[in-house]
Amino acid sequence: MTVSTGVVLAAGEGTRLRPLTSTRPKPMLPVANRPILEYVLDALVDAGISDLVLVVGYKRDRVQNHVGSTYRGVPVTYVHQAKQLGSGHALLQAREAVDGPFLTVNGDRVIDPQTVGDALDAFDGTPTMAVRDHPNANEYPNGAVRLDGDRVTELVEQPDGPYRLINAGVYAFPAGWFDRLAATKRRGGDLYLPDAIVELAAERGVVGVRTEGLWVDITYPWDLLEATRQLLGAGLVDEQAHESGVYVHETARVHEDATLQGPVVVGPDAEIAAGVVVGPDTAVGRNITVEANATIERSLVGADTRVGSGATLCDCVTGMAGEIGPGVVVPGGETDVRIGTDIHERERLGAVVGDRVTLAGGSTLGPGTLLGVGATVGVGAIARDHVAAGAEVVR
Amino acid sequence: MCGIIGCVGRGDDTLDTLLDGLDTLEYRGYDSAGVALANGSVQTAKKAGELDALREHLADWSPSGTVGIGHTRWSTHGPPTDANAHPHCDCTGEVAVVHNGIIENYQTLRDELATDHEFVSDTDTEVIPHLIEDALADHGPEAAVRATLDRLEGSFAIAVVIAGTDAIFAARQDSPLVLGIDDNATYLASDVPAFRVHTDRVVYLDDGQFVRLDADGYTVTDFDGTPRSPSVETVDWDPEATGKAGYDHFMLKEIHEQPRALRQCLQGRVDELAGDVTLDIDPDIDRVQFVACGTSYHAALYGAALFRAAGVPAQAFLAHEYAIQTPPVEDDLVVAVSQSGETADTLAAIREADRRGADTLALTNVVGSTMARECTDALFIRSGPEIGVAASKTFSAQLTAVNLLALATVGAGDEDVRDLIGALRDLPADIQTILDASGAREVAREYVDSESFFFIGRGYHHPVALEGALKLKEISYTHAEGFAAGELKHGTLALVTPDTPVFAVVTGDGEAARKTIGNVKEVEARGAPVIAVTDGESDVERYADAVLEIPSTHARTAAVLANVQLQLVAYHVANELGRSIDKPRNLAKSVTVE
Repeated sequence: MTVSTGVVLAAGEGTRLRPLTSTRPKPMLPVANRPILEYVLDALVDAGISDLVLVVGYKRDRVQNHVGSTYRGVPVTYVHQAKQLGSGHALLQAREAVDGPFLTVNGDRVIDPQTVGDALDAFDGTPTMAVRDHPNANEYPNGAVRLDGDRVTELVEQPDGPYRLINAGVYAFPAGWFDRLAATKRRGGDLYLPDAIVELAAERGVVGVRTEGLWVDITYPWDLLEATRQLLGAGLVDEQAHESGVYVHETARVHEDATLQGPVVVGPDAEIAAGVVVGPDTAVGRNITVEANATIERSLVGADTRVGSGATLCDCVTGMAGEIGPGVVVPGGETDVRIGTDIHERERLGAVVGDRVTLAGGSTLGPGTLLGVGATVGVGAIARDHVAAGAEVVR
Repeated sequence: MCGIIGCVGRGDDTLDTLLDGLDTLEYRGYDSAGVALANGSVQTAKKAGELDALREHLADWSPSGTVGIGHTRWSTHGPPTDANAHPHCDCTGEVAVVHNGIIENYQTLRDELATDHEFVSDTDTEVIPHLIEDALADHGPEAAVRATLDRLEGSFAIAVVIAGTDAIFAARQDSPLVLGIDDNATYLASDVPAFRVHTDRVVYLDDGQFVRLDADGYTVTDFDGTPRSPSVETVDWDPEATGKAGYDHFMLKEIHEQPRALRQCLQGRVDELAGDVTLDIDPDIDRVQFVACGTSYHAALYGAALFRAAGVPAQAFLAHEYAIQTPPVEDDLVVAVSQSGETADTLAAIREADRRGADTLALTNVVGSTMARECTDALFIRSGPEIGVAASKTFSAQLTAVNLLALATVGAGDEDVRDLIGALRDLPADIQTILDASGAREVAREYVDSESFFFIGRGYHHPVALEGALKLKEISYTHAEGFAAGELKHGTLALVTPDTPVFAVVTGDGEAARKTIGNVKEVEARGAPVIAVTDGESDVERYADAVLEIPSTHARTAAVLANVQLQLVAYHVANELGRSIDKPRNLAKSVTVE
């Protein structure tokens, strides 16, 4: 069955990725210097989708401004989810913008055209969802799946017992399916797309199609580092390749005495001084400035950030427009990280830094530090654990 | 100021092609619109009002033809009525003409023609079809149009269709006209967006050139028939860059595009670590005269201040005044600032400067514009197309570009060049920070019902105050005035009451800030609400009823940031009042008449 419309759910915040998502929706988080959403849109366009509908909500300006009215020549229509009342509610907002059968994908998971194509090939008018093997399906927070032949028999959020498959977040639905979605039982006022699938599977069956394409879910900040590593490895990078695994945008200025250790990507307009070492597994964003002899490894440095001379950043994810002073040290390594109320043990994470932070000269961030938007760490001070937005850490 | 479109070779899609083209040209004027299609005979449809009125009219009656011209109008001669809308026809209805510009000798021509011809409109344009009608008695179609061109004085871009000829004849004199070249079709328009969706290959016509478009392609000659072969260029921007992308208005979209616009403006031109600014122009500068109008004039005032700070005598002039009362021009570089590069007043000023031997530089957004081609040099601000009639992103880019110009040519005076380059590179993120958390909407709601608004600023913030007031006037139709902060007490303070909010731009904590705070106290004492646009470095917040914050930055770039807050204030005030934000009454995007 020919499907030309793709609905992308891009309205969510991604609370487990704060403070990075304090200023942008999760689909706009950069992985290897491109927002997650771009990989999703590429997958849809490459799979032949010719009409894109983006459901936007939280910080929607960021999505609209980035994507504009077309993506690679494919027209984009925006629909607005005013309140974030679940993935099903988000999809329901697209009702007036969609005509005929359509594809639905989450805007916050990196997918490839093959995954989309597999779902489209399997779609015969029966609601269809992509599933994939996952080593930790039992612990996967967005839904474990069981199939009987090509039929979905179970889709559960908190699986009990052995599961091998997970929900890949790619669905194909027939025309007129919105009425059925609207009738789905709500939970605490919210409407979830997986709940609709579960009800539908019991009523008349849902096709589950196994897919094996590139697929990276990002739930926690360290997932961004892992995703960047995978995407750099796969060469899914906009910037030009200079040598194996070294990608530098043509407008970046990299001093001849700087060292780029692949896999690494350097964004447009970046300036990198002599003696700097960047990489491996590192993405430095657009318009950043790295002064002499700084070292950045296994990190994502957000656009418009300034890194002072001699600074060392390991295992970091930083937001936009940080001021990182000379001699700042983020040593990185494994640590226990608290996200919300959960403790995640032995995650490799140097620090997660929101937009517009100031790390004064000689300051240090202990492993696993989460630094809120606009926070300041004073000269020589040491920050650990969680630092609230706008807070100042002094020695 | 009007928009022209024409196409040959679109078959049954001719009418839709014309209407879609007019859609993208509406920013050039929108008080009436019309089309004419030639297919043996000439059929014309036109209607006062926005383009939708014409579409409605055409729903009942659709002319057909494979050659067509269209027009969207902004009144210069005669009010917006059906009769005054273009195309205009001759007495036989076999010649249809669309025109942008002004025929200065139209009264003479009309008096001459009036005995044998019936005029149905108040426009200057209508003389053209009647002249062609007369010329057709002795000439073939093409020669008749050429003969008519010889009779016209003034500025014009015209396009003509004549019954029985499957061709468009067009000519350009002091009004923009560009061709779009595709494999099986040819287009002409006042501006590239009108046909960009069909082709990216364009030919910019020069003044004094005539073109025939027909099924075989296009032929360019001078008015006298000498063959010309202008080069075909490729434009690089995305046709859909002109969609609203989910925003309620183009202006709001364009305000949000500013980080990207400034990245483009800066790209490849600055090297912060080396402290270098490199432009592909290198004018010799002893003294500078800026000429501009409207928003661009505010950028010119700011630019002149940058050059003076580097010890170079520099002044900004209103272009229309400059053209008739030209100051002494010696070794001056005359810099023309114009978003479109087609502003007739500014063109007149640089032509006068050129006549007096000055070097000229166009600071513009439009590659291939008349100004870019006529000036000795051009510096492009690279903002991408701006559709909202009220300039937003292009003003920010003008301020950015003029900083680059000053740094590249005369330096920064007492300022540290690397700091300044750093501040320029910070602009995209600083503006994003404002856009993420602006309180402008709340301020707009609080003060929307005020009878008058004042804006004050000192030094680099003086042009920002002027621009803040202009923007509010343009799109909200509310009275507003901007002043140098110290000037208020020399007269206008008499108008300040509790009903007149005063926006004060105060950044840093230096002398300019302290003095402006003194002026803030003056208005506060008269009971006026004060809205401070500030980086929080001074204590102006103590005297303010509301604060619009901007990130701390260099004094020069602070002006760019403060302006972004004032753009948002103007937008939200206009939106609260339900104004036609992208197409304010009586205004057109680029004014190509003097």
